[in-house]
Amino acid sequence: MIEIEHLTKRFGETIVVDDVSLTVDEGTIAVFVGTSGAGKSTLLRMINRLIEPSSGRVLIDGQDTMAIPEDDLRHRIGYVIQGYGLFPHRTVIENIATVPRLLGWDAKRIAARVEELLDLFQLDSAEFAAKYPHELSGGQQQRVGVARALAAKPALLLMDEPFGALDPVIRHKAQEDLLAIQRRLGTTIMLVTHDMDEAFHLGDRIAVMDQARLLQYATPAELLTRPAEEFVERLVGTAERPFRLLSLARVKDAIEPGPSQGEPLPVSATLREALSQLVWTGRESLPVTDASGAILGRISIDGILAHGRQPA
Amino acid sequence: MNAISPHTSAPRVASAGAAVSLDRLGGVVAVLIGVALFVAPFVTYRANRIVAGEARMLLDALPMAMAVGVMSVALGVALVAATIRQPILRLSAAALGLAVIFLAVGRAPGFVTPPGNTFARVSPAFGFWLLTLAFALLVADSITRLRLGPFARLAALAVAAAAMAMLLLSGAWDGLSLLKEYATRADSFWREARQHLFLALGSLAAATLVGLPLGMVCYRVPRIKTAILQVLNIIQTIPSIALFGILMVPLSILSAKVPLAAALGIHGIGAAPAFVALFLYSLLPVVANTVVGLEQVPASVVDAARGMGLSKRQRLFQVELPLAFPIILTGIRIVLVQNLGLATVAALIGGGGFGTFVFQGIGQTAIDLVLLGAIPTVALSFMAAVILDAAIDLARGPSRD
Ligand SMILES: Nc1ncnc2c1ncn2[C@@H]1O[C@H](COP(=O)(O)OP(=O)(O)OP(=O)(O)O)[C@@H](O)[C@H]1O
Ligand SMILES: [Mg+2]
Repeated sequence: MIEIEHLTKRFGETIVVDDVSLTVDEGTIAVFVGTSGAGKSTLLRMINRLIEPSSGRVLIDGQDTMAIPEDDLRHRIGYVIQGYGLFPHRTVIENIATVPRLLGWDAKRIAARVEELLDLFQLDSAEFAAKYPHELSGGQQQRVGVARALAAKPALLLMDEPFGALDPVIRHKAQEDLLAIQRRLGTTIMLVTHDMDEAFHLGDRIAVMDQARLLQYATPAELLTRPAEEFVERLVGTAERPFRLLSLARVKDAIEPGPSQGEPLPVSATLREALSQLVWTGRESLPVTDASGAILGRISIDGILAHGRQPA
Repeated sequence: MNAISPHTSAPRVASAGAAVSLDRLGGVVAVLIGVALFVAPFVTYRANRIVAGEARMLLDALPMAMAVGVMSVALGVALVAATIRQPILRLSAAALGLAVIFLAVGRAPGFVTPPGNTFARVSPAFGFWLLTLAFALLVADSITRLRLGPFARLAALAVAAAAMAMLLLSGAWDGLSLLKEYATRADSFWREARQHLFLALGSLAAATLVGLPLGMVCYRVPRIKTAILQVLNIIQTIPSIALFGILMVPLSILSAKVPLAAALGIHGIGAAPAFVALFLYSLLPVVANTVVGLEQVPASVVDAARGMGLSKRQRLFQVELPLAFPIILTGIRIVLVQNLGLATVAALIGGGGFGTFVFQGIGQTAIDLVLLGAIPTVALSFMAAVILDAAIDLARGPSRD
């Protein structure tokens, strides 16, 4: 668990992060959004002490980060930045092995860990291991960057616009991969992004920052239904609101009893996907099946729309 | 601020433009060969070491059969240069041409000198040098076109050096004036060679030892960077003779006041001021390139290194210096080539080195003696440039884009 308490950063006269407090639960993803210059990167960098806070403190599992020697702290926290900062003079293997080497792992353990990560990130070790970063595509570099950050099994991963440089298709794939890996490893992640779709897709909770202040820190649904300030409402995008809500809910949340005709929908699909399918096929309702293919009921346009409505 | 980079590196010609410039260069080479063969003298004959010489054309410088042989080979090379584009063929032709004229010129003294005359001097003349230039141009051009890797270039240099050494050791050139000059002062030649290398390499080593840390400090503390670089820039603009003069005063005081300094051979004149001057000239390229090399390390790489918990020291030695190394090496290449040339001037204040022969030769109007000092200097600079260029390529290695 990460506890941020009254964290403040001043550069001379200007306050860049103003009295921010929040808690990130073990194994969840907290996403930070906000205008450029809002202080997101500064906040993130105070957690691994790349920037020293002016006041306030950060606790990791109850331990004050100030009590941990700077380099030790950073060995324990994964860090991924836009552009990745891969070492151009080192191979993929050597890049990934950076922190384990600093920690003095033996060669065998390092090799096994690197192999495991290459596998996890779908990088064929025979093909990629000996390559240098400039020989990789942007998407491959990104995966190596994340693999390197995860090498020493950190409990916390800080990501500053990690997908910012990827094209939309690769970006979506990278998000899916990150979610899958995060679920598998149970890593706590704090991620900065400018992409609201990404924030809603990845975040268990979303922190909205503006002009150094934390305006709201809440679940995606709360952010949509109960925005704390007008700024949050605007940032979330009023026109997108119902569709985002539908993306957050699943077919199982709106399933109704009764028969229906047509191509069945899986119960795990989002309501947005279900609505899209209904509009496309021109039907009022479609049958719903579970993973084994058994019919569970049906989903209707009216049932879906009720979920995208502003709460009373 | 820009890194100081060598201006002598061969331009990489795109293959599209190659056809045009290739013909042009081939044409120039062919014309040079023609002039060298038919207008310029091949050797100069002098009754003794310092009198004015008489020119001998190729046909008068060698036995008839040999002269005709040399002429046909040279014309053949001209033909190849003008008509054939394949670099390997051009390289082979030029190498053959060089081998033939180098061997042939060794035979000239025996042919033009009356038997029993030991005072007469025969030296290569304008035509010979022009042929050498033409063939060397062709060699350099073909090697550039072949885009040889660093190891291949080093191998080519080794082959050329070995061939030259064999030629000199075989005695084939012993009759030439240059080698006669050498024969009468073989001992001092090697002493001055050692001194020359000591001045050039020693001052480079000292400048590297001081300049690298100085560059790192400038990188870490931008405040003092401007000041240090400005001072070094000013030093760079002082003419060498003036710098020797400036250094004489403090060094002679040091020598007079501190017996240890005098015992170590530090005097106001001699090797000490020359060494110090070369050292001072060397500092700017080393420091400036260290700073630029470190500064061009991408900020994201440094940030990632910090974020992963590399200590300052680990960052410097594992990330920043390795990535700056090719540029630092470029600075060292500049210094080495510059010092090998500048060390010649040390002779003016009794500092020794190959310059000793150059200035003695000028004093005696003995051109062969001048060449005895100048040719090894040029050869050393050339070899240093080739070797360090290869080293820079190797250092760039994996991270090249
Ligand atoms: N070292 C520094 N000295 C002075 N001001 C700084 C420093 N670092 C950051 N700032 C200022 O702090 C503010 C917040 O910067 P920060 O990088 O945290 O913003 P951000 O939210 O990450 O913005 P972006 O979305 O553009 O990345 C900016 O106005 C920036 O100019
Ligand atoms: Mg930022």
